Amino acid sequence: MIMHGYVVRRLSLGLAQIVLVTALVFALTEALPGDAAVVLAGDAPDPGRVARLRHELGLTGSAAERYTGWLLGVLRGDLGTSMIAGRPVAAFIAESGPPTAQLAAITLLLLVPLAVAGGVAAAVRPGRALDRVISGTSVALYAVPEFALAIVLGAVFALRLGWLPPTAIGAGGDLLADPAVLVLPVLVLLARPICSISRLVRGGMIDALGSGYAAHARRLGLAPRRVRWAHALPNAVTPAVQQLARTTDWLLGGVITVEAVFVVPGLGSALTGAVAARDVPVILALALLFAATTVTVNLLADIAAYRLAPRSDGAG
Amino acid sequence: MTGPDPTPGRPGRARWVLGGLLLAVPLALAVAGPPAAGEPAPPGVPFAAGTGPLGTDFVGRDVWWQVLSGGRAVVTVALAATGLAYLAGAPLGLLAAMTRRRLLDELLMRPLDLLLAIPSMLLLILLAAAAPPGPPGLVPIVAAINLPEITRICRAAALESAAGPVMEAMLGQGEGWWRRAGYAARSMLRTLLADLGVRVVGALYLVATASFLGIGVPPDAADWAVMVDRNRAGMFVRPEAVLVPALLLVSLAVGLNLLFDQIRTRRTA
Repeated sequence: MIMHGYVVRRLSLGLAQIVLVTALVFALTEALPGDAAVVLAGDAPDPGRVARLRHELGLTGSAAERYTGWLLGVLRGDLGTSMIAGRPVAAFIAESGPPTAQLAAITLLLLVPLAVAGGVAAAVRPGRALDRVISGTSVALYAVPEFALAIVLGAVFALRLGWLPPTAIGAGGDLLADPAVLVLPVLVLLARPICSISRLVRGGMIDALGSGYAAHARRLGLAPRRVRWAHALPNAVTPAVQQLARTTDWLLGGVITVEAVFVVPGLGSALTGAVAARDVPVILALALLFAATTVTVNLLADIAAYRLAPRSDGAG
Repeated sequence: MTGPDPTPGRPGRARWVLGGLLLAVPLALAVAGPPAAGEPAPPGVPFAAGTGPLGTDFVGRDVWWQVLSGGRAVVTVALAATGLAYLAGAPLGLLAAMTRRRLLDELLMRPLDLLLAIPSMLLLILLAAAAPPGPPGLVPIVAAINLPEITRICRAAALESAAGPVMEAMLGQGEGWWRRAGYAARSMLRTLLADLGVRVVGALYLVATASFLGIGVPPDAADWAVMVDRNRAGMFVRPEAVLVPALLLVSLAVGLNLLFDQIRTRRTA
């Protein structure tokens, strides 16, 4: 089967990509001024103490040795130990992972149906009032940085109207226990991807509805609704599915901002903290996690695109 | 990114006007603000009424003075980074499209694919931690993050003409490499112009977000995004110290995108 060989090829390519990304990130952490030993030594950077700390943290070997050591550890399922907190990195991620995963999952769950519905609704009568409102809003919202949107929404709905909590402080690690704190972060995370994806769906739908096969299906007497959802939509969403994969990159970036604005103790906060503290094992584990997510989502998107419209080149 | 807009009666004028107005206010402040601001008044009490119309900020500086001087950095860094990315990406893409050797094409493009697989915010945080804080350090970083996509688009745009009949004819007549590259470069200009807006808006987004997160900027910089972050502590007492710079950034981004989108639809229509 063609599909099978394609998936295997893409999987091995993706694995190589993930390893290369972690190597690149490791090289970048090497370029950072100072290391965890200097951070731990704090206000008293006595050279003897820094050297001793460096020895204890295993920072003395060459860069290649340390990276290979880390990589071999990962293959055994060991992500290493946080240099600053002294705890296993796996426990660290298990703690800050859930809030981020909850945010991302809820955003994605809402994103797909909303973006498709918006795009299709706009495409049914292009140029009419509904299309103008949807298209205009999406062009406008698309460009707004998450933090600015978060601040403006927070000022209106949390400070002025008092409907929603301004931050997630007090909610702890489980955001689902207190759904009100999720509303503003999810709204902010949704804004940008919804705009780009609904625009792509709209463009694809307009093309698909005007195509020969859609006209033929209508001539055969199929209901417009059926032509729209069963015949036009699968072809129309193909570019959108690939854009959805690029959206994971935005979501990752957006999550970092949103966690900073709404004080959510998630992976984004963990990342900024780890970079500031030069906590290389945590940075590498997060890079591994982010790169694996990106590669997996891209692979799934390409496979989905291939299934939805077999004629298009899924490898593209 | 977005396809041609086949809308018949385009909602033209309203969007031009709205986009223009939204862009004009922050842009005017960014250009004329710094000279108009003059010397800063000596710092007073934090988050107090102060002497200016917007009160004082988290260290007691005049917020209006900060608003006047805080736009230039965001706009300049975004524009400079976009320019730098094109300066590097266009020749790379052109070279990859023009070459007849597949190996060179792969050698140029594969490393950029790798860069694309790193989440841009992770890359931004790491690169900025290694660079000196301030606008000169931020420009190459934002340019580097935008480089892979710009190179890909340049390559795709040049490839259309590089594989076309005109190029075949030029090859047949024995035209030199530079003449052919010149032709491919001219023909990709149209696509690049249509794409320029997305790139500028993207760079602006990255610069503002980085500054807000305190990445690559001094903590007390006169910068709209930094103001939003630092004055959040006084959100209850003096919301205008946060909202005015936040709304200026929103207005700048929305205005830019509306105008660029209008230019794009007009070109493709």
